[in-house]
Amino acid sequence: MEDQDNTRKRRYEKPEITQVDLRPEEAVLAACKASTGQGGGGPGGGNCRAPVPCSSLGS
Amino acid sequence: MHLRVAGFTIHIAHADRSWPIAPAAAASAFLVDPAPADVEITVQVGRCEAPAGAPVFESGGSWRLFRTADGYRFSFVSPRSSAPYKIADFTPDFSSGRITLHEPFFAGMPAIDPLEYPLDELLIISLLARGHGVELHGCGILDDQSGCVFVGQSGAGKSTIARLWLEDERAVVLSDDRIVVRAHADGLWVYGTPWHGEAPLASPRRAVLKQIFLLRQLDRHALSALSRTDAVARMFAASFPILHDAAAVEFTLGFLDRVAATVPVRELGFAPTRSLIEFVRSA
Repeated sequence: MEDQDNTRKRRYEKPEITQVDLRPEEAVLAACKASTGQGGGGPGGGNCRAPVPCSSLGS
Repeated sequence: MHLRVAGFTIHIAHADRSWPIAPAAAASAFLVDPAPADVEITVQVGRCEAPAGAPVFESGGSWRLFRTADGYRFSFVSPRSSAPYKIADFTPDFSSGRITLHEPFFAGMPAIDPLEYPLDELLIISLLARGHGVELHGCGILDDQSGCVFVGQSGAGKSTIARLWLEDERAVVLSDDRIVVRAHADGLWVYGTPWHGEAPLASPRRAVLKQIFLLRQLDRHALSALSRTDAVARMFAASFPILHDAAAVEFTLGFLDRVAATVPVRELGFAPTRSLIEFVRSA
């Protein structure tokens, strides 16, 4: 019985920290979107009203 | 006007026909016949004033969020107007709302989209974060009656992948930039959205979610396993969480964990060649 318990145990894995990049301007919809405006997006295109430059597209 | 995005039916009521409303081009594919709505919105034209008090959230872009006695208030600003050009008030559960369009800003426009980006997407992610799913920065493909999602931040190659699949007659591109994942009684589903990328590709269709790939540009195709923790972390980094709401963030993380426990989530290194399609189909 004791041997069966040991084989079921998982190997110990030391906890590791993994860093993942978060792009806040994309995550919070602060950037322009290519789909804005009836004429399409892009720098100065469509009717994107965001104050940030449309070159910072969020896609 | 009725729209359906990611399974949410939105009814927009506008009584003043002197200010015609119409969806943006990409959203027009999401128009539906009148149906019971999940969200009821009324639109009015008037004067907007900057909300009082400090915002709950400052996006750093065109919008800010305030709490009100009745719920939430989004305020949208532009260099072209000293006053907000649009104010959107919603109940706490986002089941109803009122949009006020600043008359001087919209005067002379042939048609107005009250839900013009980013408000439409803000509404959907607010609904999703309240127990309904998650939106991912990803390209969604319907292939042979099932869906796969290619997740990545800007520049990862989502639109490139979408264009490759576009050439395949068996596949439908749900979106080249934003997809929604929701859980229903019969499993996880992936939805297309109006918020396309450079491609531009947006479909109101949906598919049963089969697998998720986290993108990495490489000189060849290669699949790598990921720990569940890494998969959740990387999907979270490519999602649109409601960062000012701890309960919403908790739900989003839990939902992504459920996704990672339900479907394969792996890293896909890829080269932008058509052979990628068969590589993914055999994965």
